[in-house]
Amino acid sequence: MTEIRKLIDKILGRALVVIMSVMVVNVLWQVFTRYVTGDPSSFTDELARYLMIWIGILGAAYVAGKDLHVAIDILPSRASAKNRKKLKTIVTVLIILFVSVAFVIGGSRLVYISYLLGQQSPALQIPLAVVYMILPISGLLIIFYKVSDLLKK
Amino acid sequence: NSTKTLRLGHGLDVSHSVHKAMVKMGEDLLQRSGGKLKLEIYPSQQLGTERECLELLQIGSLDMTKVSVGVLENFAHKMTVLGLPFLFRDRQHSFDVLDGPIGQELLDDGKKYWLKGLGYYDAGSRSFYTMHKPIHTPDDLKGQKIRVMESATAVRMVQELGGSPTPISWGELYTSLQQGVVDGAENNPPSFYLSRHYEVCKYYSLDEHTVLPDVLLMGTYVWDKLSEQEQKWLNEAVTESVKYQRVLWAEAEAEALREVEKAGVEIIRPDKTLFADKVADILEDYKNDSEIYPLIKQIQETK
Amino acid sequence: MLESLPIFVLVLSFLCLLAIGTPVAWSIAISSMLTMLVSIPAIPAFTTVSQRMATGLDSFALLAIPFFVLSGELMNKGGIAHRLIAFAKTLVGSLPGGLALINVIAAMLMGAIAGSAMASASAMGSILGPEMEKEGYSREFGAAVNITSATTGLVIPPSNVLIVYSLASGGASIAALFLAGYIPGILTGLFLMIVASFWAKKKKYKVGKRSTLKEVFRTFIDALPSLFMLVVVIGGIVSGVFTATEASAIAVLYSLILGFIYKEISFPKLPQILLDSSATTAIVMLLIGASMCMSWALSYENIPQDISTGLLGLSDNKIVILLIINLLLLFVGIFMDMTPAVLIFTPIFLPVVTKLGLDPVHFGIIMVLNLCIGLCTPPVGSVLFVGVGIAKTTIEKVFKPLLPLFIAMIIALFLVTYIPQLSLWLPSLFDL
Ligand code: NA
Ligand code: NA
Repeated sequence: MTEIRKLIDKILGRALVVIMSVMVVNVLWQVFTRYVTGDPSSFTDELARYLMIWIGILGAAYVAGKDLHVAIDILPSRASAKNRKKLKTIVTVLIILFVSVAFVIGGSRLVYISYLLGQQSPALQIPLAVVYMILPISGLLIIFYKVSDLLKK
Repeated sequence: NSTKTLRLGHGLDVSHSVHKAMVKMGEDLLQRSGGKLKLEIYPSQQLGTERECLELLQIGSLDMTKVSVGVLENFAHKMTVLGLPFLFRDRQHSFDVLDGPIGQELLDDGKKYWLKGLGYYDAGSRSFYTMHKPIHTPDDLKGQKIRVMESATAVRMVQELGGSPTPISWGELYTSLQQGVVDGAENNPPSFYLSRHYEVCKYYSLDEHTVLPDVLLMGTYVWDKLSEQEQKWLNEAVTESVKYQRVLWAEAEAEALREVEKAGVEIIRPDKTLFADKVADILEDYKNDSEIYPLIKQIQETK
Repeated sequence: MLESLPIFVLVLSFLCLLAIGTPVAWSIAISSMLTMLVSIPAIPAFTTVSQRMATGLDSFALLAIPFFVLSGELMNKGGIAHRLIAFAKTLVGSLPGGLALINVIAAMLMGAIAGSAMASASAMGSILGPEMEKEGYSREFGAAVNITSATTGLVIPPSNVLIVYSLASGGASIAALFLAGYIPGILTGLFLMIVASFWAKKKKYKVGKRSTLKEVFRTFIDALPSLFMLVVVIGGIVSGVFTATEASAIAVLYSLILGFIYKEISFPKLPQILLDSSATTAIVMLLIGASMCMSWALSYENIPQDISTGLLGLSDNKIVILLIINLLLLFVGIFMDMTPAVLIFTPIFLPVVTKLGLDPVHFGIIMVLNLCIGLCTPPVGSVLFVGVGIAKTTIEKVFKPLLPLFIAMIIALFLVTYIPQLSLWLPSLFDL
């Protein structure tokens, strides 16, 4: 389990670095084409926005894996060590449940609908399903991380 | 005996003729149905952009929406035809087409995409407005950065006319114009007026390149659950609402032109054929498109 | 009864989730989903949650956030922060509480080129903290000054929170918001300096020697390339050479090149910097996505209108309503971080204040300045956590020196609230 987790961490980290770099280059390219070539690129705005969705949703998995999401510990800080562990388990289960229904079920249905109905992005003319695909992917990764957290205890 | 609430989300301001016509539709619907059907309207993108609202219709959490044909073409291919430049001879021609069998065919075509088209609201026709240089002929567009909608057809059209199409979101356009990120844009007179872009752009050139009506839609998810009687009430209310909006629109358009002129905008009425000739290629590009090309021919043949 | 069910579900589930320690972003998302389930069938509701969270990030303006985070990170690692401190030192080092004043000024300078307060708090805290202790300052006082002054960078442009506000307000001009932030941010900084100076005098902390004009000039020249970034970013936005988002990408390029020239950044270090920035970005983005989901659920149930009507029913006096809103926000800020608070409360309060004739740009500055205070208060305050962590002290100990600084911030807040010109004068000069 730890081995797989490390591997996923690594792949996920690389993916984020690539997305982030492409984002920067993409926006610089937008400025460049407008001023230097005088022929503003028509796809950079859309590409940037879709990469933003990807970094936000995929990053959620990375952050969940590292347990970096900020919480307010009102009850846990007052609870005994044993109860704190119980609360932590409850929270983890809640996140798994939410991600399963929203990201995996809801996200997959969103991908299915936009694929089935053939919705295209206006500038790049790529299927919106590709953009939304990140939801179930990230959902499955979060579930993997959270389940492995539960098993570790 | 309970009331059924239909939720209608759109992106326009409450002062817009379409919103007013929707409010009237709501009252009408309540009356016709004896209180059984109620319309709840969410204006100003409260529930999302036009694209997102369409998606919510397919998802099934929103009942109705209104979108521009420009947005719809990314969902329903046949709708592309209505966004083609200089396809309609004049306003009456466009009404004849939309109110006739072609208009109905396009509305029904949405069903394939889980969208039931209900009717068309008038959105006039779109023309160029610029900051520094008046547009009398297509040559005047050369080297000018023109903001366009996120639509492949719109990008293509401005390119053919000689301008540099720059897609920027409508909300960011005012500052982009002010700061010179773009030199001009294109829209119908009421939008030019209500967005206050006339404060920055002093030339409005009425070449009327595209007629992009707004389409009122309902998700088939909800439509199929309505009884035949309810569907009938709704259709009747829509018909009345559309009629009412066309009157409001004509008034709004006249008022907009009057007001921008008063504010110092020079209104130019160029020779449209110069523009139409330049973009004739775009229509010909669809020769091999078995869905669009017959529609183009039918529209051109409509008297 | 049935009318109030959605808001009941929303508030109750949200508070319970927070209390048991669910991360804020997931709490927002889960309670929004439960609220939707009141009026939407399950499967469409699940799909809607997904769609809102993804499309909530579908905005070109939001891109400035990862870029300003990244450029802040590059500045920290690239030696830019160091040079700013050296320059600030020659300016105010010889005044009472000199090092504390340096901290405030350097934080304002750093804030003026970076978009995030955390970057500033960690840079200043790690560089200046040890020096302050060496000079006999108490560690807690140093941390308190560092924490509060770091927040000025959120009001002084560029500012990620103002970008978030622009999004939540439905498109208030980012260029106008940025210009509006200068005077309130500098004013707050000045107030903090006055309080810090008095405190240092009372505690008889050591005073540094006066710098010669030559030293001032030398450190200024040294810091000039860093300061020039301010001209590039803000000048570029205001003159219309590029949009705020493009400016943030230029800032990344600029700080990267500077870091290479200073030989403090090298290619092997880049992936880690990019990854850290992506993680910081992702934390903010999940909050934004979840909040967009919540604000959709709120709109769907007409909750903002209800609250707005209720609030306006209390009084129709602008001064009173603004006071109530400010107190509510101060309270919110105690428990909630800035980004979710801006995202959740902008759509609720903005209709109220615009009805009273307030400019959305002005309200944005009020809101951000208000929530800056919350960033420094326990139990939830991200800048507080960073500042305390870097100074290796505890929240309880820092609280006492923080109190007078809070009062300074609150006075600044009320001045900015009731004198709109403080915010709106600069943008009006540029016709924004
Ligand atoms: Na800043
Ligand atoms: Na706080």
